[in-house]
Amino acid sequence: MAPHAGFDTDQIKDKARKDLLYLLEGVRGKKNLVIERSLAGPIGIFVKFSTLQDYGVDKVFFLENGNTDVSQQNVVFIARGECARHAQSIADHIKRIQRESQTGHEFSIFWVPRRTLVSEKILEEAGVLGDTSIAEFPLYFLPLEKDVLSLELEDSFSDLYLRKDPTPTFLLARALMLIQQRHGLFPRITGKGDNGKRLADLLARMRQELIAGEDSNESNKMGLTPSTSIESLIVIDREVDFATPLLTQLTYEGLIDETVGISNNQADVDSSIVGVAPQPTSGSSKSVGATPVQAKKRKIQLDSSDRLYHQLRDTNFAIVGTLLNKVARRLKTDYESRHGTKSTAELRDFVNKLPGYQAEQQSLKIHTGLAEEIMRHTRTDQFSRLLEVQQNLAAGADPSSQHDSIEELIARDAPIAEVLRILCLESCISGGIKPRELEAFKKMILQAYGYQHILTLDALEKLQLLLPRGSPMAAMIPISSATPNSGAKTNYTYLRKALRLIVDEVNEHDPNDIAYVYSGYAPLSIRLVQCILQKQYLTSITRGGSANNAASMATGGASQGWRGFEEAVKHVRGQTFDQLQKGEDKAVKARSLLTGSGEKKTIFVVFLGGITFTEIAALRFIAKKEEARKQIIICTTSIISGNRIMDAAIEKSSLGRNTT
Amino acid sequence: MANPTADWEKVGDKFYRKVQLYTAVFDQDLELENYIVTGCSYGGAVALYRDETKLHSFRGTQASKSSIDLYSCAGKLIRRINWDKGSIKGLGWSETERLIVVTSDGTVRCYYDLQGEFTQFSLGHGTEEYGVKACRFYGSGFVALLSNNHLVSVSKYDEPRPKLLATPPEGEVHSWTLIPPAYTLSRSVEVLLSIAQTIHVVDATESEDRLLDIGPFTHISVSPNGKFVALYTATGRAFVITSDFQNRLSEHDSRSKIPPKDVQWCGNDAVVIAWEDEVHIIGPNNAAARYFYEGRVHLIADHDGVRIITNDVCDFLQKVPEVTDDVFRFGTESPASILLDAVEQLENQSPKADDNIQLIRSRLVEAVDTCVKAAGCEFNIHWQKQLLKAASFGKSVLDIYNSDDFVDMCETLRVLNAVRFYEIGIPLSYEQFLRLTPENLVRRLINRREYLLALRISTYLRLPTDRIYVHWASQKVRVGSEDEDTICHLIVEKLSGKRGISFEEIARAAYDEGRGRLATELLNHEPRAGKQVPLLLSMEEDEIALDKAIESLDSDLIFYVLLHLKKKLPLASFFRVINTRPVATSLIESSAQADDSELLKDLYYQDDRRLDGANVFVREALEQPDARTSIDKLSLASKLLSDTRDVSFEHKSLLEASALLKFQDGLDRDLSETFTGLSVNTTFFKLLELGYTSRAKKFASEFKIPEKILWWVRLRALVSARNWSELEDMSKVRKSPVGWEPFFALILSAGNTKLASVFIPKCAGGMQSSEVIAMWEKCGMRVKAAEEAVKSKDVEALDRLRAAAGVGTVEGREIERLGAGLRR
Repeated sequence: MAPHAGFDTDQIKDKARKDLLYLLEGVRGKKNLVIERSLAGPIGIFVKFSTLQDYGVDKVFFLENGNTDVSQQNVVFIARGECARHAQSIADHIKRIQRESQTGHEFSIFWVPRRTLVSEKILEEAGVLGDTSIAEFPLYFLPLEKDVLSLELEDSFSDLYLRKDPTPTFLLARALMLIQQRHGLFPRITGKGDNGKRLADLLARMRQELIAGEDSNESNKMGLTPSTSIESLIVIDREVDFATPLLTQLTYEGLIDETVGISNNQADVDSSIVGVAPQPTSGSSKSVGATPVQAKKRKIQLDSSDRLYHQLRDTNFAIVGTLLNKVARRLKTDYESRHGTKSTAELRDFVNKLPGYQAEQQSLKIHTGLAEEIMRHTRTDQFSRLLEVQQNLAAGADPSSQHDSIEELIARDAPIAEVLRILCLESCISGGIKPRELEAFKKMILQAYGYQHILTLDALEKLQLLLPRGSPMAAMIPISSATPNSGAKTNYTYLRKALRLIVDEVNEHDPNDIAYVYSGYAPLSIRLVQCILQKQYLTSITRGGSANNAASMATGGASQGWRGFEEAVKHVRGQTFDQLQKGEDKAVKARSLLTGSGEKKTIFVVFLGGITFTEIAALRFIAKKEEARKQIIICTTSIISGNRIMDAAIEKSSLGRNTT
Repeated sequence: MANPTADWEKVGDKFYRKVQLYTAVFDQDLELENYIVTGCSYGGAVALYRDETKLHSFRGTQASKSSIDLYSCAGKLIRRINWDKGSIKGLGWSETERLIVVTSDGTVRCYYDLQGEFTQFSLGHGTEEYGVKACRFYGSGFVALLSNNHLVSVSKYDEPRPKLLATPPEGEVHSWTLIPPAYTLSRSVEVLLSIAQTIHVVDATESEDRLLDIGPFTHISVSPNGKFVALYTATGRAFVITSDFQNRLSEHDSRSKIPPKDVQWCGNDAVVIAWEDEVHIIGPNNAAARYFYEGRVHLIADHDGVRIITNDVCDFLQKVPEVTDDVFRFGTESPASILLDAVEQLENQSPKADDNIQLIRSRLVEAVDTCVKAAGCEFNIHWQKQLLKAASFGKSVLDIYNSDDFVDMCETLRVLNAVRFYEIGIPLSYEQFLRLTPENLVRRLINRREYLLALRISTYLRLPTDRIYVHWASQKVRVGSEDEDTICHLIVEKLSGKRGISFEEIARAAYDEGRGRLATELLNHEPRAGKQVPLLLSMEEDEIALDKAIESLDSDLIFYVLLHLKKKLPLASFFRVINTRPVATSLIESSAQADDSELLKDLYYQDDRRLDGANVFVREALEQPDARTSIDKLSLASKLLSDTRDVSFEHKSLLEASALLKFQDGLDRDLSETFTGLSVNTTFFKLLELGYTSRAKKFASEFKIPEKILWWVRLRALVSARNWSELEDMSKVRKSPVGWEPFFALILSAGNTKLASVFIPKCAGGMQSSEVIAMWEKCGMRVKAAEEAVKSKDVEALDRLRAAAGVGTVEGREIERLGAGLRR
């Protein structure tokens, strides 16, 4: 591979695998593995269970289950070091095993991604620190796809916005720092949002610390000069645009996530929908986390190794049926072609292709099943009602006109997450709900779903998702653009026009704008990315909408920050920033001379606090347009959806019904 | 100049040479035979400790005070460490030149610099009880043998985790040694124990008998590359075998009745056996050579040879490197030797020089290369020069030659000669230097406080210099006699503008020395916030530590400080500290939510965050096992909110929640069904579904269920209970707040077309006729649908209906009839 052929995410995968296997190798003999549940999926992405077996792993347990047995002398724990809870439960495990077992055990702990003072202190207080050997397993970014890197921190959303815990920001900065150390500094960091600003500051700080760090020898000087292969880093804080994830995602992948749920590229689907797995007993296809396969559910791998899925995932669901149909017909004619074979050579040719056909047929079967299931869901009255309300709200219809529909949803006992999503959407888009109406809704929700949701509603308010209009937190929508306090709250009313969030004529078959992912609504978060990457395009479609943007516009690429859209960006919540990272001038010049400027450059788009599949689809759409000049790599703390946002807030237990 | 081959000795077909490194090493009064002498690899320091098992003459109280003395190889005293911690059972070095001292009770001290600074840990695993008998060391760790034959292994010193190896059999251990983990298949250290006639190999998991019958062995030694083992039997025979015990390579009979003092490997090819003052070197195939010394000799094995130390001299015994052999061997006619000769001729201004060059013209490159390499292997500066000159001369004749190696070698030799100088006393061979790496050499110099030389070498070899400065500054802080301002000024002035300086380390040194103010001042120059925190904490600068931690945004660090403070401070002042720092507060909140609700209550109370405080109680209420205690918790929560205006909604909700629980409790008892845990709507639903209509009505009015919702829930409940009569009653009401379509839709989907059809006329008001036709059709009433079609003059629909009904049927005829009216 040529050194500048772009950023390759596979090497991150390889490194993670090597790191883990190296650590496992260090523990001699057979061992039992105890993994934190949320890590099982991510680990499954880069290493197969059979490989682990080759490295002496006998059984795998979940840390949360507390059922680790004493069958092996070596016990290896893998858990996230940032979480004090895990340290405590590891300590409990160790003590229990030591109590139950006559023979001595060797305990190892691999902290992901780093060992922490707090965890170690807890182990020390529990009196087990001396019995363990501790190592770090520096797993930061996980490549979900060739263009998507995720930290896969399940709780990152609630950590950041509900609990105001800066850990995800810190880990993201660390992860980006590793990329910088390898590929050079991001020459420009542009972004939006308070947490995003914090991230940028942290990066600057870490850079300083790296320079001040002890190992300042030749080898990593590379990391301290601006990269020639990376063009810039774009940071979007989720806080900037809560509305987008609250809308129902309408791409195929997005809808699978909404209806079935995708985690770590896998979906648990009822086997009645997709058929039974072809060889359920073969250990090789089993991933790390896979506990004995239940009869009912089947894990389905959803990534680009499935060619059909790769083709379908980012399309609007409206055309998935047609596409599937087309593939089915092609497959049939291909298959029928065997009747036409004359010579043995042709026949052999056909037989060679057979496994390919079979794989394709398998995946066709799965996706037809899935699509049908989703269709069943989308055809319901409730779904269309929901979608209608969402689209009306997004388009800026008078919110109170939608209240009847919402009330009906509550009365019909629709899932609470759906109802809350709509209410939050309204609150986000129209700057809060009128206090009296909000109170009425709150009462209805408490009555319909139980009083435990006092906590849910409080959490939503803390998240600033559900606010009464005119409350200090909801910060009135500035009527004129000159209002100085802009930036406290995203002003969708203004932005809808300024950035043309609503595109009426979307063509789902041959999309011409990112709005296709929501059938007419262009996600604000991605519009912001376009403000940086696709200035010309955005100006052309917003021209006439707002005159001040359409002013003189240079043709440059991303190296111009927010230029031309400063006004619009002011109406988005949070701080705006645009920084250049410079190294020693001479070195930069020399290097840019050496490498020339005609190269394809990489742009990192970072979504702090999570990204939805639709946004990924939209970014891929942009990437496709800019293919000739740029490569876009998406980085995020985790994949989110409206339901996952709601899950962060929704209280699960109910009053007076504690079974324990 | 003496011929370099003068001290070569032939052992088999190979030559060995003894290089005299230093003379007059130790004081003549020092009775070396009474000392345990152990040296660090790579020409490192030598530690002397008086052997407790030997008698020694009384010399007054002064001299009897025991100490560990650290010398350089040239005999320069680096440091005297006074020792009063009991009997030493193990004295050894790590490859980073840390001195490890193990006492019989299992205490391990690790002197990490040569200046007496140490860390300490204990071996555990029963060492206090049984006592350590002996220790064997390797590069990064050691193994201790206890008196009950148990083996405890320590594999690293930074975070020592002493581990018990597999239990070997009982019996007297005649001698033992280990194979470092880097050379074993298992990646764990392996210990070879000579017990009775045989050898047992012990690793982390098992102890295996190698089934030999030629023991017992008084000495076992493993070659530096871990591949061979030398065994010396009590009968004076020496064996060399492979370390997997599969092949016996050679055998030698020393014909000595006296057991030797030491058996060591010299490189990987020969074994050195030392008696009091006699050293034998035994090569393959029973070849041997002898050296004689005055006084007791001590052997210090290194990677490529053995250092021999006596009172007078420090010698280095090694196999003659191939390149050196190539150049100097007597009678050789190798190109390199001719090139060397040429340079001599050149110095004598003899034309023979050119003849020589012409002679080897075709192999000149090889000759130059060999000369460069041989220069590296030479300890004698004269010959180094001579060889380099030869190389330079040969190079000048060549048209094209890559001089990189030559330049590197010149640089390296300059460094090597500098450190070999007797005042420094590190007699590194070229090969050792390559293995040690220049960085580690600089580190060793720093430990010896040879800052100037370290700095010179670093700049000369383009290595980072930050460590040198930091170490210097730390020493300055420790021992400098100037006042604090001067020192601080001095250090900052010297170190400003240098990259990679860790002021934290210097500050820590200052703090450890009790110079708190100086430490604080120095710490201000540290750019890394995270680094400052632990020191600030130990300096009790709690709030600054917290601020610095928050600045770093490293939640682990923040939390660490918070835990520390929480333990240390009274609650009120703890809250005062975190109140002004939102990040700290939110971290405490989220962690307390998981496990410490009392703390949370206190926090919210003192901060007057009533709603949050109430929510803590709500959360507790959720965890209660039964309704009664839940109600108690809820009332506690509502009490908190009772006199606050802007949370009246929450207050009301809490009261309702308690009321609901009470009502449900009553229902549970009366109706023997479980209602507890349901919401208002679902309770209402369940009551209706079960047919308790009047109770349901009472319940609805008590909880003020809004009209529309009331109707919806009622509709759903009745449909789900298939309570058609009740539904029919509802149809008689004139107006429904939710319209009649839901009635139609739900009843239809429940399968009662007849009842559903009742609602069609009621919904028809605001609808398109086509929709109404569809509704009738869905109920299977085509005639009614046809009537509607006639009403709206929809011929198309009519035709469709007729076709669907079939021409001959009753329905069909009826539709025909109706249609006829329309046609006309």
